[in-house]
Order: sequence, then C-alpha cells, then structure tokens
Amino acid sequence: MSDRTLGFCALIFAGLMAWFGHDLQAPFSYEPVGPRAFPMLIALIIALCGIWLMAKHWHDRRKGEPIDWPRLLLMVVYIFGYALLFETLGFIIATAIVTVLIGRLFGGGWGKMIIGGVVMGVLFFLLFDRALDVVLPLGPLEFLS
Amino acid sequence: MSQIFDHLSIGFDVAFSWMNLLVAALGAFLGTLVGVLPGLGPINGVAMLIPIAYALNLPPETALILLAAVYVGAEYGGRISAILINVPGEASAIMTTLDGYPLARKGLSNVALSLSGWSAFCGSLVATIGVIVLAPLLARWALAFGPAEYFVLIVFAFCCLTSLLGNQPVKGTLSAMLGLAIATVGVDANSGVYRYTFDSVHLFDGIDFVVVVIALFAIAELLELLESTIRGESPEVPPNERKLFNLQELLYTKWTVLRSSILGFFIGVLPGAGASVASAVAYSNEKRYQEGRDPNSCFGEGDLRGVTAPEAASTASAVGSFVPMLTLGVPGSGTTAVMMGALTLYNITPGPVLFDTKPELVWGLVASLLIANVLLFLMNIPMVRVFSKVLSLPNWLLVPGILCISYIGVYAINAGTFDLTMAAFLGLIGYLLRKGGVPMAPMVLGVVLGDMMEQNLRRALSITNGELHILWDSPIAMGLWIVSLAIVIIPPILRRRSKNKLSATALAALEGEE
Repeated sequence: MSDRTLGFCALIFAGLMAWFGHDLQAPFSYEPVGPRAFPMLIALIIALCGIWLMAKHWHDRRKGEPIDWPRLLLMVVYIFGYALLFETLGFIIATAIVTVLIGRLFGGGWGKMIIGGVVMGVLFFLLFDRALDVVLPLGPLEFLS
Repeated sequence: MSQIFDHLSIGFDVAFSWMNLLVAALGAFLGTLVGVLPGLGPINGVAMLIPIAYALNLPPETALILLAAVYVGAEYGGRISAILINVPGEASAIMTTLDGYPLARKGLSNVALSLSGWSAFCGSLVATIGVIVLAPLLARWALAFGPAEYFVLIVFAFCCLTSLLGNQPVKGTLSAMLGLAIATVGVDANSGVYRYTFDSVHLFDGIDFVVVVIALFAIAELLELLESTIRGESPEVPPNERKLFNLQELLYTKWTVLRSSILGFFIGVLPGAGASVASAVAYSNEKRYQEGRDPNSCFGEGDLRGVTAPEAASTASAVGSFVPMLTLGVPGSGTTAVMMGALTLYNITPGPVLFDTKPELVWGLVASLLIANVLLFLMNIPMVRVFSKVLSLPNWLLVPGILCISYIGVYAINAGTFDLTMAAFLGLIGYLLRKGGVPMAPMVLGVVLGDMMEQNLRRALSITNGELHILWDSPIAMGLWIVSLAIVIIPPILRRRSKNKLSATALAALEGEE
C-alpha cells in the first residue's frame, strides 16, 4: 500500500468514526467529559495523520511494496473459511482440509499434505481437547465424544 | 536490605513449586524454538500462548511465568539463526548477524554461540538484580500518581514507542490511535453507553484483547510468510575446532558484557522501548567506543565483542521491560504489552498496588526469571544443534500449524465463530497496514492502555470540572510532558546529524516486531 492510499484510508476511517460517534451521549451524566469526547479526539488525530500522509506523498508516484494478489486472496479465503467452518465441520475435519489447502499454497505435495492434515487434526485434538481440557468442537464426529 | 531477602524468599517459594519449575522450563524451551524461527519473535510466541494458558486454567502467576520464560527464551533463540545462517531469528538479533555470521564463516560458530549465550545470561542476571533493587522504589514513587499523572505517563509511553521504533513517527502515531480506537468499542464503563457496537451482542464487551493480538501477530504474520522463502535452509557451517569459548575470550569481553547489560536494562525500563532498540544502541555504542581505543578491533568482520554486546543488551532489556509493567502498569515493550493484556484476563491490573496486594505474583515472576535464565543457559550450550534443526521445518507444515494453534486459542476464549471471523478480519487489516509500513507494536499498546488512558483523562477532568490545566499542573506531570516532547524531537535531529550510518540504518530496519 502506498503512503497516499494509506493516508486516504486513514481519513475515511476517521470520517466513519466521527459519523458513527457523533451522537454518543449519556442520557444523564455526572461528569464534565462524556463518552463522546475521547473517540472524537482519536478520530481527529487519525484524520490529521491521514492528511499529513496524503499531503507529504501527494506527488509520490512510487508504488508500495508489491502484493502477490492471487495467492493472498486464496490464503484469505482459507483463513475465513477455516473460521466459519470451525464449528460446523468440527475441529478435526476443518483442520485437515485447511491444512491440505494451505500446505498446497506453500508448496507441499498432495500426498504429504493429506497425511500431514489428518495427523495435525487428530493430534492437536487429542493434545488440546483430551489431554489439556481445552474444549474443541467435534461437528459431525460428535458420536466420538 | 533484609527486605530484599524477604521479597526473594517469597519469590523462590513460588518459583520452586514443581508446577512453576516445569512451566518455566517448558516456556524457555518453546521460547527458544520460536526465537530460532525467522519471522517469529517473542511477541508472536507470547500471543499464541496466552489464550492457551488461560484456557488451561493456569493460576495467574504460573501463566505469567510461562509467558516470561517464552519472552526471554526467544531473545536467546534469535541469535542461533543469526549466527548460523545470517538471518536474524527476531528483530533484536539483527545486530548479532553483523559479527556473528563472519565468526561462523571463520569456523568459530561454536565459540560465538556459547559466548553469546553466556552474555545473554549475564545480561539477564544484571537486569534481574536491577529489577529487584529498582522495582520497589519505582512502585513506591508511582503510588503518588494521580489520574492526570497516569494520563501523561501513557502519553509518554506512546511517545517512546513511536519515536524510537520507526523512522516514520506519523505511522507509529496512526497505529497507536487505531489501537485506542479498537479499545473504545463496547460499553462505556462510566455512562453505560454502547459505543461502536452496531447492535451486535458480540461487540457489547468490546473486541477481546486475545483476538486482536492473535490477528496482528499470528494471522498477519502468516499472510506475510506467503512471500518469504527463508525457511527450509539447513545451516551449512565450516567445521569447528572448539566446542566452547575459553577463559581468555571470556575475560576479553567481560567489560563489553557488563556495559551492554547495564545499558540494555535501562533502555528496557523506558516504557515502550524494547530489545531491538537496546541491541542496536549497545552495538553501535560498543563499536564507537572500541574503535577509538583498540586498533585490533574488527567490528563487522567477526569481532567477539560485536556478538556479546547486542546479546547482553537484548536479554537485559527484555528483563528490564518488566519494571514499568509491574510498577507503573505501563508496559516496557510490545511483548510486555501483550503480557499485560494477559493479566487483565485474570482481572489483575498491574500497577504499584500489585506489590502489596499480590507479592507472590511479582516476586514469583522475578525469581522465575532467574531460574528460567539458568535453565536457558544450561539448555542453550549443549542443545544449539537441536534448536537449529527447527530451521529445516518446511513452511507447508509450519503455517497451517500456527494457524491451527491460534484458532484453538481464540476459540477457547468464548467458544464461538464470531471471534474467529473477527480475528481473520483484523489479521487481514493488520497485514495491509504492515504493507503500508505501519508498525504493529504501538497498536497493541493502544488496545491495552486505551481504557486506562480514557478513564484517567476523564477522572482528572472531573476533579477540575473540565478545566484542562490539571493535566500539567503537578511537577511530575509537567516533567513527563517535557521528557515526552524531548523524546519526540531529539531523535530525528540526531538521526539527521548522525554520521554513524550503521545505527541509522539499523534503527530504520527495525520494524514493529518488538
């Protein structure tokens, strides 16, 4: 991300913060400073940082660090997918699938990844759920419990 | 004097319980592993372990001992990859590569590894003595702090972190403010007003600290690993003649170690400035000092003092950064900020009162730091080769493993999908911000201190019924404003003037890792 874009995003964020925070008011209050002042102060400072970044780098044609978009998007999809399916599919199945997919993204072979995924899912389940008492969802494998 | 021994005996009683000894050893081992891996530093290790320690129902002092051992262990581990493959295992080991790798090329890798392990040990020893002496004094002084002083103290911590960590203070400020913004989400403690919750039940209590930390230091890190191809290298080192350093080398570096340890400790005590700053300052300081006096010094080409100085300083500052966390409730580094967040999970607010209300926690931690360091020193010399094996762990196994452990931790807190999705979302945002050169450490500090900062500001202003002058009326507050201002203004001027290119580039290279 270039500094100009970053500054622009900061301004947008500050704007949203001010917009959603402008009507924060306590119904009755005993103190001189209410719940609105602090968020507004932060929004103001964020806006100032944004303006500074944009003004300073307005003529800056340099791009930020390049991002490998296709791989990043895939990885992001996996991370969100893992989060959403963690409970529905249960820990063991979700972990095995996501490990295989992410492992492929990082250059692991299919065979190795399938073994790795299943082992990781089962091993971590046994370690955390059974040995350490950190409860994990089983999903469709509920009958094992 | 007798008081010090009373304190220590409380501490060792706690630390010598078999549970805490085991946890300290485990933490030291895990920490070293995390430290060896390039890209993963102490903050990542601590971030991943917090939710698990909490889910395991460890008592607070045991959890803190685990995290502290991981922290110091990672500082030990970073040097292994720095010396063997010229890749710093974590940010504070950048300076160790400068002389460590040339030494390894000369066939002295075992000497460099063992001697740097020894200096790290000395650094933490000196710093632990410093903590024992300084912390109670500072805590007593801090009892005099009112809300206005606390507010200014937090401002001071932000100033230290943003101006020392990066070459772009504006981005550091932006990061800190984003952290404070995250902290405002949820119900306002004073008025009961819901802020930025968008009517979602999951946001009423605010965004959980663990979610933010995992997002910024585990998930964003994994996204960043997509483009790095560091791992998978197995270290190739010329054969070594000797296994250990000899007495002559020990004596040759003794003053360097002592100087750098003391320097590192005091840098660690500054709120906000962590191990990477300490090691950079210690290295360039030692280089400047020795080059004037010693015609045989060969910094940058394999001088033993170039390895001992940054290692002594980095562990000393890691231990030193516990001082402001325990005494003032304001963390001394990004990693201690994360630990402070961990304590709030247990409803413990660090601060001067902690010394009276929970002495077993404070002194148990100090004693455990000592024990963890002895263990680390004993572990590190014979087991270097074992630890360096981690470097051949391939990314395709490491990345899903880290993701899996992180999600287990987040899930353990509230057992829900919402937190996991939130972690994924914040992780993506954190990654994009990193790509824009925004350091992450100020953001964590913001999340941890946001509530305290706002409450103290509002309390102070309530005293004067809204008049701002209370914020600078007392001498302590005024002094802190002046020091904060100095810390913001002086480094850029020095940086511009500095002819010592090394320290300038080193400071520029230090990202928000610490």
